[in-house]
Amino acid sequence: MKKNKFLHAADSVITHSTLIVVSLIFLFPCLWLILASFSKSGSIYTYEGFFPSEYSLDTFKTLFTDTAMYNYPQWFMNTLQIAVFSSLIGTFLVILTAYTMSRFQFKSRKKIMKGTLILGMFPSFMGMIAVYIIMTQFGLINNLWGVILIYSSSAPMGYLTQKGFFDTVPYSIDEAAKIDGATNFQIFQKIHLPLSQPMIVYTALTSFTFPWSDFILPKLLLKEKNLYTVAVGLMSLGETEFSRFAAGAVFIAVPIVILYFILIRYMISGMTAGAVKG
Amino acid sequence: MKRFLCLVLVALLSFGQLTGCTSTDTLDEKDTSAEESALKSIYNGELERSVTLRVLENDTAIQQGYFNQLIDAFNEKYKEYGIVAVDANMDERSNLADDGPYGYGPDVLYQANDSIMKYVKGKHIYPIPAESLEYFSQIPDNAWDAYKSEVDGKSYYMGVPVNVQTSMLFYRKDMLPNDWETNWDDNKNKVPDMVENWNALYKYSKSIVESGTGKYGYMRSLFDVYFSSGFLFSYGGYIFGDHNTNPKEVGLSAGNAEVGANVLLKLASVMNEECIDDSITVNGYSKIADGTYFATMTTPDVYTLFIKELALEYEKQGKSKEEAKALAEENLVVAGLPMLPASGDLTEENPELIPQKAMGGINGYAISAYTKAPNASLAFVEFATSYEMIMKRQELLGSIPARSDAAKAVGGVSEIVFNNLNEGNIVVMPSVTEMVQVWSPTETFFADLAKDAFRTSDKKYTSTEKIKSGLKVVDQQILDAIHTLSN
Repeated sequence: MKKNKFLHAADSVITHSTLIVVSLIFLFPCLWLILASFSKSGSIYTYEGFFPSEYSLDTFKTLFTDTAMYNYPQWFMNTLQIAVFSSLIGTFLVILTAYTMSRFQFKSRKKIMKGTLILGMFPSFMGMIAVYIIMTQFGLINNLWGVILIYSSSAPMGYLTQKGFFDTVPYSIDEAAKIDGATNFQIFQKIHLPLSQPMIVYTALTSFTFPWSDFILPKLLLKEKNLYTVAVGLMSLGETEFSRFAAGAVFIAVPIVILYFILIRYMISGMTAGAVKG
Repeated sequence: MKRFLCLVLVALLSFGQLTGCTSTDTLDEKDTSAEESALKSIYNGELERSVTLRVLENDTAIQQGYFNQLIDAFNEKYKEYGIVAVDANMDERSNLADDGPYGYGPDVLYQANDSIMKYVKGKHIYPIPAESLEYFSQIPDNAWDAYKSEVDGKSYYMGVPVNVQTSMLFYRKDMLPNDWETNWDDNKNKVPDMVENWNALYKYSKSIVESGTGKYGYMRSLFDVYFSSGFLFSYGGYIFGDHNTNPKEVGLSAGNAEVGANVLLKLASVMNEECIDDSITVNGYSKIADGTYFATMTTPDVYTLFIKELALEYEKQGKSKEEAKALAEENLVVAGLPMLPASGDLTEENPELIPQKAMGGINGYAISAYTKAPNASLAFVEFATSYEMIMKRQELLGSIPARSDAAKAVGGVSEIVFNNLNEGNIVVMPSVTEMVQVWSPTETFFADLAKDAFRTSDKKYTSTEKIKSGLKVVDQQILDAIHTLSN
């Protein structure tokens, strides 16, 4: 009995120690970046050891007021515009694609599914040169809507998770609705949409976070400084602007965190509660 | 009949081959006219009307307000033609080769010579009728050469030099010994010897280190090729043959380059082990500010960072913000590089001195080959490189003009650096792509050399012959890298 207690305590100590060490390893870079954003001197070259020698709020003030060269508020609004619209349009298209693939049987359905599965295995940046050339032909370089168009149109390629979700909703619900005279659109709108709230929230969140932090596509398509997104803008900062970089990187996490806390409750709410009443 | 036809064909082919044979004189004549007609076909002298010129300037010029003044003045002068210059609003390091062909590049761009000359191969920039510019002779050949390109045996200038970028000595005036005017100014020119020649700087650094206060005199990360290669150049070393244009020849070990490397080794002995890696580059700002280091070598573009750090230090000591800034600007002095001893012996008393060479760059304007208004673009370049605008640029940005009249008018450090450029003491960074293979092997050598100053029993570079062998290995490594990796 005593031996068991000892083993249990040892297991607990080892597990917790390992978890603490691992969490510290992950926490440390974030903590360092947050501290760097409060550095008084502004340059990474002036650190004594690993951390800034003096702290102040000046960098955050500068980030939003000194916009002559580095217009962070503008970059922030551009990023927000791209992320919000990409998320809205992308979610709409993904849900429609997933629902169609899950609920309807049509010719070449399997072939399309296999095709999208294979195409999805290629990294998106593979087609960047082609995307660039196409966008030049459409005159969509230096246009935020060009970036939104690419994000939104490529979103349905990742419909498989959502299709898997729709597959779990019993077909008997659809059949019951059809017997009651509901059209396909009504079934989708009145039954599946409310049921798939957690999946819509998940899709919206992932469709938002990718454009929010992506670098490659905006760097490729947005050449003018006033159209930069935060990721591209931060990369363009001079080497003496490290604390501004850190402050910008810390601040960009704020909307994601807020969004996460607002939407998380929808994601974990009951999925099919009250769907089929006996 | 068949035979006749064969003979006719042979005769025709032979005649065709012979058309390629002509005297060189005729060729030269043809080329001269070809050069002129090439320039005339681009610039017909008639300004395009109602055009907008997108100009890519460097960030500092925009930040300090110079660029706005420049375009305002230009737009005012050319308003009757409807020509308007605007900020291209792009990253200062934008690659014209990426954006230009699709119509998103600037019309006029201001970049460093090595960046601009990369566009030549892909014909992304237009040549400039440099010789017809009224100030052509005001800019030294060394600066023009940075923008020279040979096509079919003829020379074209692909940009107009504006500023010189090179290494400078940064030191703390308030850390000079109190008796410097009597004991450290042998030539009585009111300039401390330790910022005039390396022998005195070495002596002063040694005395600071030996005082045991934990302070140092001259400090610099020695592995950094940009700053250390000048010591090799000063004694006959060079990067590539034919004035840095021929990568088939690498000459870091040429001449008495080993003597320059030996000077670096000696300087390392009055530093600490931080000179082996980039520690001093990283902590130089704070260490100069808190008085741990007396001097360092760096480029003028980081001047504000030193001032900011020094001002913070004075604020800590109780000075107000304004007082601290004024004091920092007074005590941080930027000077030209000290002279080197011809013998390479830093301990020699009253040595014969030679100027130190340093790696540098020439920033300038170029015209995009994708511009729809080449004449208006040329007018902008002429306007931006006029005496008045260059003087204004110097006044606002503290840059060192490439024009002799402007450099003379400004005087001080600008004139010293200009003279160094004019006399060939600034070795302009080669504009050839093979340059990328130079950095790593040379950095490794300099780091090893610096390390040798701190080795006790197993020193590697005990004689100049051994240093020479080390440099020859570096030359070979660079050549191997160029021929295996670049081709």
